[in-house]
Amino acid sequence: MTQSPTLSRRAASSAPSQPRKSRRRGADARAGYTFLLPWLLGFIALTVGPMISSLYLSFTNYNLFDAPKWIGFDNYVSLFQDERFLQSVGVTMQYVVFGTPLKLAAALAIAMLLNSKRKGQGFYRSAFYAPSLIGASVSIAIVWKAMFGDSGPVDQGLSFFGINLGGWVGNPNMTMGMMILLTVWQFGAPMVIFLAGLKQIPADLYEAASMDGAGPVRKFMNITWPMLSPVIFFNLLMETIHAFQIFASAYIISNGEGGPAGSTLFYTLYLYLRGFSDFRMGYASAMAWLLVIVVGIITLIFFKTSKSWVHYSGDAK
Amino acid sequence: MIDRRKFLTTVALGTASAAFLSACGQSSSPAQTGSADNPVTITYTWWGNDDRAERTRKAIALFESKNPDIKVNGNFSDFAGYWQKRATEAAGGGLPDVMQWDLSYLRDYGQRNQLLDLGTVKVNTDAFEKSLLPSGQIRGKTYGIPTSTNAFAVYYDPAKLAALGIAEPDGSWNYKEFNAFLTEVGQKGNGTLFGGTDYTGIWWNFNIWLRQNNIQAFTDEGKLGFSKDDLKKWWNLTADLRGTGAIVGEDKATQLLPKSPFGSNVTATEVTWDNFMAGYLADSGAKELKLVPVPSDDPDNLGLFLKPSMLMVASAKTKYKDAAARFIDFMVNDPEVGQIFKTSRGVPASKTQRDGTTFEGTDKLVVDYEKSIEKYLKDAPEPPIVGFGTLESTFKRVTQDLNYGKLTVDGAVDVWFKEAEDLIKQNA
Repeated sequence: MTQSPTLSRRAASSAPSQPRKSRRRGADARAGYTFLLPWLLGFIALTVGPMISSLYLSFTNYNLFDAPKWIGFDNYVSLFQDERFLQSVGVTMQYVVFGTPLKLAAALAIAMLLNSKRKGQGFYRSAFYAPSLIGASVSIAIVWKAMFGDSGPVDQGLSFFGINLGGWVGNPNMTMGMMILLTVWQFGAPMVIFLAGLKQIPADLYEAASMDGAGPVRKFMNITWPMLSPVIFFNLLMETIHAFQIFASAYIISNGEGGPAGSTLFYTLYLYLRGFSDFRMGYASAMAWLLVIVVGIITLIFFKTSKSWVHYSGDAK
Repeated sequence: MIDRRKFLTTVALGTASAAFLSACGQSSSPAQTGSADNPVTITYTWWGNDDRAERTRKAIALFESKNPDIKVNGNFSDFAGYWQKRATEAAGGGLPDVMQWDLSYLRDYGQRNQLLDLGTVKVNTDAFEKSLLPSGQIRGKTYGIPTSTNAFAVYYDPAKLAALGIAEPDGSWNYKEFNAFLTEVGQKGNGTLFGGTDYTGIWWNFNIWLRQNNIQAFTDEGKLGFSKDDLKKWWNLTADLRGTGAIVGEDKATQLLPKSPFGSNVTATEVTWDNFMAGYLADSGAKELKLVPVPSDDPDNLGLFLKPSMLMVASAKTKYKDAAARFIDFMVNDPEVGQIFKTSRGVPASKTQRDGTTFEGTDKLVVDYEKSIEKYLKDAPEPPIVGFGTLESTFKRVTQDLNYGKLTVDGAVDVWFKEAEDLIKQNA
């Protein structure tokens, strides 16, 4: 798409007459949209269409089999009287608020370690990136479950140091910790983006700071952080949105029930259970739309507050 | 002349429309019946463990050898995931041709026209008890054929009791005596062997207790037939046992999934359906397991009944009605299928199949158990209300929360009643 203005400009200079120019631009657009067609069709049929129908369903009582019955805002109202719903909100917020910053901190720390010219850096980068490729898979969730079970490697390792917690999987107070560890472990994707950002920071800034006697903390606070802030902002936004959508690992680890004692009843898992176990698709659609709205609001807040701490190069500030 | 841009536009349009057309072209309908050279393929799905999977594969192989014009594609999962998959498939109109079914979900799908009326195809039900067939029928239409029957029982492992020096029970016990027994096992088991799981967590057990007290679980109008006080009494039965050795903790039980604590040799007893025998034997590796009746405070009324342990159903949208009917007929009536499954699906419901099966060892125990309780048996229950599957799983979940100490009995009763009332209103 970014190509076409340049193309038209060149076309315009070779053929200066006005009608010809617009005809060419129209032809460009036609070609562009034609190439976009397969994607556009998919986007409309598989994303926009279902979203609109789910918006409609969220105002109905729909059990998957019979025709939906219009009930207005009843689903949205009963959500807030549903203790399981409130529990799922609490569980998800915990996960987002603790999991995302920890994951980003780990990603940034490792990225800074890897941002130096040493032998075998390529290998380390790939090795640290690998978990984020496989981390969301079903098999990893199963492995995780086995590792954190009674007498699993984690339990035995901690017992060796005299910490007897027992299995984490069956303990409602420990499952959240386990889920957060699983997401932190997948720090690879934001790490790669951080690494690319770090490479963009001119080395002479650090050299000048060293000359002035700045220590590593000072350099981080005054050079790395501000220079990297657009990348940090991007990662924070993406990972937060991503964290709200956690489903597969929670589904596997809790046998699709959100247990023990509702401690892994994540928002999307409860949505799924309501829709497909209880056949309350209208209710589930209302939950889905509430999630869209909340994530939208949070994104908006992020963008508003970003002005005070995100610095783009070339800004006057 | 075609310039470059026009050419590209044409190519792009062509590619897109070709993809679109080929996507549309796949809906041409295949033949309804097959032949040995060109067999039709039907899909069959069931829930269960590896043991059942192995037996089912044998049965399918036998069916295919007897019916060379039909191929059966089998697929299975565990019970909880099973129903989520079916819901997704039903919503998309793609239910498997033939399915193993549970009474709890018969109304949900039958009443909503997802299941084939088996009265319209050829499935032989001459060899069935006439009192059993109505449990597969809704408003006069037959949606499911029972494969077999099961009844509630208390399992125990005699070897484990002997090792602890505890006498084997004879099953003539009331709830107080049963609790005392669980407590004794827990005390002597000393943290490695527990008495049992919390038996108040199973809906059907509650249903039996209601029957013992002459209370109907659901009224004919599809409402709840019992009160909050009844449910309070029920969940209070094991109030003193929770958190002791009499009942295995939820934290342990959760980690053993998909196996049960009893199948994992963590408990000495389990209260559940008698057809779980084969699964428990395979899971636990125990030499022998025995069955006795459930406790009752009224020795003349045990509240027991024979329930279809599972049903065979077909999708209303199947293209191969005839092949599906032949497979169902084979699975419920063929004596050789009885020989393959023995009592792992329950005691065969069809007399033809039952008489053609030799029951030995533990299978004989299951058959003998059902004979021994014959005089206590009452009518099989009708298919439960729409949405019953949700109520059943909520019942279990709430009991788990009780055991975690996250809910009091009063709180648990409120949670369950709210869910039940919501659901009944929803489906009214």
